[in-house]
Amino acid sequence: MKFSVPIFDVKNLSFVVKEQNILSNISFEIFSSEYIAIIGPNGGGKTTLIRMLLGLETPTSGEVKIYGKKLSDFKEWHKIGYVPQRASHVDSSFPASVLDIVNMGRTSQRKLFSPLSKKDKELVRDAMVKMDILDLAEKMVGTLSGGQRQRVMIARALASKPEILILDEPNTGVDVASQKRFYALLSKLNKEDGITIVFITHDIGVIADDIARLFTINQKAIICNNPKQTLSCEEMSSLYGIDAHLLHNHKHEH
Amino acid sequence: MFEMFEYDFMQRAFIAGIIIAILASISGTFIVLRRYSLIGETLAHSALLGVAIGLVAEYNPLWSAVVFALISAWLVEYLRSAFSIYSDAILAILLSGSLALAIILVSLGGAFNNSLFSYLFGSILSVSSEDIVVISIFGAISLVILLLFSKEFYFIAYDEEIAKTSGVKVNLLNFLLVSIVAVIIALSIRVVGSLLISALMIIPTIAALQFRVGFLKTVLFSLVIALSSVISGMTLSFYFSLPSGATIVMCVLCIFILSLVINKR
Repeated sequence: MKFSVPIFDVKNLSFVVKEQNILSNISFEIFSSEYIAIIGPNGGGKTTLIRMLLGLETPTSGEVKIYGKKLSDFKEWHKIGYVPQRASHVDSSFPASVLDIVNMGRTSQRKLFSPLSKKDKELVRDAMVKMDILDLAEKMVGTLSGGQRQRVMIARALASKPEILILDEPNTGVDVASQKRFYALLSKLNKEDGITIVFITHDIGVIADDIARLFTINQKAIICNNPKQTLSCEEMSSLYGIDAHLLHNHKHEH
Repeated sequence: MFEMFEYDFMQRAFIAGIIIAILASISGTFIVLRRYSLIGETLAHSALLGVAIGLVAEYNPLWSAVVFALISAWLVEYLRSAFSIYSDAILAILLSGSLALAIILVSLGGAFNNSLFSYLFGSILSVSSEDIVVISIFGAISLVILLLFSKEFYFIAYDEEIAKTSGVKVNLLNFLLVSIVAVIIALSIRVVGSLLISALMIIPTIAALQFRVGFLKTVLFSLVIALSSVISGMTLSFYFSLPSGATIVMCVLCIFILSLVINKR
């Protein structure tokens, strides 16, 4: 492998709830500038895995290291951009303009007792330009379309200048045209800006050409280093169930 | 119109009322956005327990109200994070528990009198010079903290988990916010009363939210609504001999209804 220190180093991770194994003995590493897609059936543990990477859930056993440090010792959270599944379902009565939301990306890095600096404002603007939402700055988030909201959420994550973006199916409820545009944006962020991307998705066929590795999670993990060739329909079926055939066909259509 | 300011007690009541309107509306915005509206009600009843202890022990009830509201706020946050009990259930348990204990204490201590009534329903006549000093000092500290961490509180209200994974110290700030709210409520019950203070915290924000504007404007609208309600409520209370807390709450309710009508779709 050409990379040395992994961003995430996951060893023997297990998560058990009420004697039910949600995740069993999962190990992997994620390196800088990789584009990783995570697939798996609903309830297979994808979101739980992401939440453990971010310290939002405590594993039953095993260890997560982030930039070589234990989660409890890690302080540079601005390097991580997280966009959860619910991101595009903003409560329409929440008083937030697009700018209010993207500004949040700078909140944890501003100095105590000081407002957003000139540099903060520049980073917020850059993120909005990148996501093509500058003209929406003063609009209320609740009035935007699903696709627009999705770009606002990514801009919020980008404003902290992250080295890795973790996205948990933020495209549910978004129309097909917006989804395609979104996938192109992710690919651009990965290729041009070198941002590592970890993306939980059901749309593996569409992004198969962009991704470096594919993680299939259904209680256990199958890591596929060359997703374009090696992931056979049979392997996928054993983990993914009937959906695998659909996905596989979908992949060939694109 | 201004003859009411010839009375010292009205001057004190207006100073206290304006400070409370500022504090209640700004802190209320964060509480409402966090879907934590009921905490005001709970902490007000815990503050009442503090008042009861102060009255029975013949000590300034304002101080004991602050202490008990703070203990209750910390208990709420601790129980919320340490046990899997619904937040609203915790608030309901502490609310009734505090009130029950307050009633028992007051009955045993024989302090069930007008003094307690003024804390239940608020009384502008009861605001002393010492109260003004205490309200000003604690009010200034609370306001500074609210403004300093407003961006963090707003981020947490928007999404606690995203804030956490962005490096915001969510647990610490949650404790800080409920502590400030506890202090503000304890300071406010003299004027608005423990049964009504939560209305002054919640309703101005809900009214402001009807205008569907950005965060800063929502805070400003809420502030203006709270200030207008307190000023008009106290004026009406003076001229028509009405109870101050209830009149203030009726004024804020009228503005809320107006905001609904204006923003009807």
